[in-house]
Amino acid sequence: MTLTPEAAPKLPRENRPGLPRLRAVLALGYGGLLALLIGSGMYALQTLRSLHISEEQSRNRSLERRRVLTTVVLSASVYANNVERILLSETPLEDITSGAEVLKRGQEALSAVKAYPTDGSPQEQSLVEHLQGYLLEEQDIVRSANTRTPKEFRDRAQQILSEQIIPRRQQFVTIAQQIELLNDNETIAAEQAAFSEFGRLQDRLTRLLVITLASGLLLAIGSALYILRLERQERLRYAELARNREELQELSARLLDAQETERRSLSRELHDEVGQALGLLLMDVGRLSNQIPGNAAGQEVVQRIKAVAERVVQTVRNMALLLRPSMLDDLGLVSALEWYAREVSRRGDVEVEVKAENVSETLPDSLTVCVYRVVQEAVNNAQRHALAKNVTVELRETSTAVQVQIKDEGRGFDARRTRGMGLLGMEERVKRLGGTIAIESQPGAGTSIHAELPLPPTKAGHVA
Amino acid sequence: MKKIRILLADDHTLIRGGLRLTIEQHSDLVVVGEAEDGRRAVALAASLKPDVAVLDIGMPNLNGIEAAKQITQADSAPAVVVLSMHRDETYILRALKAGVRGYLLKDSAESDLVRAIRSVAEGKSFFSPAVSKVLLEDYMRKLQRTGAEDSYDLLTPREREILQMVAEGKSNKEVAAVLNLSVYTVETHRSNIMEKLKLKSLPELILYAVRKGIIA
Repeated sequence: MTLTPEAAPKLPRENRPGLPRLRAVLALGYGGLLALLIGSGMYALQTLRSLHISEEQSRNRSLERRRVLTTVVLSASVYANNVERILLSETPLEDITSGAEVLKRGQEALSAVKAYPTDGSPQEQSLVEHLQGYLLEEQDIVRSANTRTPKEFRDRAQQILSEQIIPRRQQFVTIAQQIELLNDNETIAAEQAAFSEFGRLQDRLTRLLVITLASGLLLAIGSALYILRLERQERLRYAELARNREELQELSARLLDAQETERRSLSRELHDEVGQALGLLLMDVGRLSNQIPGNAAGQEVVQRIKAVAERVVQTVRNMALLLRPSMLDDLGLVSALEWYAREVSRRGDVEVEVKAENVSETLPDSLTVCVYRVVQEAVNNAQRHALAKNVTVELRETSTAVQVQIKDEGRGFDARRTRGMGLLGMEERVKRLGGTIAIESQPGAGTSIHAELPLPPTKAGHVA
Repeated sequence: MKKIRILLADDHTLIRGGLRLTIEQHSDLVVVGEAEDGRRAVALAASLKPDVAVLDIGMPNLNGIEAAKQITQADSAPAVVVLSMHRDETYILRALKAGVRGYLLKDSAESDLVRAIRSVAEGKSFFSPAVSKVLLEDYMRKLQRTGAEDSYDLLTPREREILQMVAEGKSNKEVAAVLNLSVYTVETHRSNIMEKLKLKSLPELILYAVRKGIIA
């Protein structure tokens, strides 16, 4: 038996440092991808929100301006109506209370203009100032008209109205319209800005998506690579493990074989050499005894020698039988088992019964030895550990296998946990011949061992 | 007086020499041949036609039992005594089935060999006393375990008589002559005995007789 390990293909060395590095890269990649996803998501959300806010602001701004402008136009027209009424009335101004009313309307219109938001563009501001200017001018005109005499006033009223008030009013309306237009334009511009901002967001998101997809793909490829490498390593490791197990099994099988061979040769040596020499010795002692019939003292010595020699013969014989039951060779399996059963029953407190059904005497040697040793071990356990009183050994031969069952009603043990060397040895022997063994036992419920050993194909065909 | 012609078969020269020495101290016995294995023993038994063949059980190339089987099958075959180290009934039964008439333990070969040779030469059986003892012990223990009764008690005195004579090697005809019965009656008795003792063959019957100490 060669114990030098074969040049086993080792795991590819370069893979070992490669894997952790790949793993680190992958982890980093996944982290980056996650950060990218979170970042782009947050960016998109923020941009959308700010877009929404600015859109709302622009709408509010536009609405506010429109509202104020409407108020301006309305109050200005009310004011204008009042002015017109005064200028066209027959009564002088100071007589009527409506003079104050007109002035109040004028103030109202002016404050409406002043209420116009001042955060607009300079153009808008100047237009608003223009509006203000017109109103102030009109006020001045009305006031100056008021200072004249009623006659003068009436004469001039028509002129003032047509030459000074009406053109100004037209201009006022035009400017108001301009402001509205400006406002509308600004709103549109803001909308356009928002729209283009949205477009930019879309572009960026598309780019991000592409980057994410690409890196995701890269990571997936990397992961697949990693998994493949792992798998390969696992396969190699598994193969190595399987080979180790095989080697171990092979080794234990060889050990069992070697043990059996050794036992057989020892047994033969004991039997052939020592046993025969002792037999001869006994014969000679007998002859000596016959030759000194009258010598009582001599006879006593001879008898002592004979007793000792007989004891030694018995011991040597038992040793030889224990090592290798020559019954297996002389008588076949069943008789050898029956012999063993009687031998055990004769010696100990346990009764062993062998029941055999049509088991042939010409089973292969390896098989008979295996069955014999399994039975020996099982009976031994039943006797020593289970303290059983009765053990039954049943042997059956089918067309394809030999079945053996050893049952006792002893103390039993927890078959799931206990695995002594004896049981392991049994399993080893049976497995080696391609057989199966089942050991059933529970504390207090006895033990049952069932082994099945396949017959060699030629033998199976022959028996069937 | 006609000497008993003996064939000795044992694979150990020393043992053969010892046995020969023991045998030839008696003037009515003569060793005519020696074989060192079973095959040679069969050949010599056929060519020398001895009266008795003494075979060791543990021999190379055909063990003693197989050799006995072949030797006893021949016409005018010698009576066979086997030398064995085993007191177990498996061996004894096997030997009986092979046609062996004498079963001698090697331990007692010196003292019993000559008696055994003379017994089988007369057509009787011979078993070492120690064998009967072990067989009886095994039998009693088995009875105790199974709770069965000793079926020997079931036999009538006549049946016991016939059992002994059959076990000693007498034929039905000889038994009938001795007891002054018809052969048919002896046959009936014999099958009754077999049935009562639950025995299947003559060797088992002989074994039973040895076990009970009816013959030795």
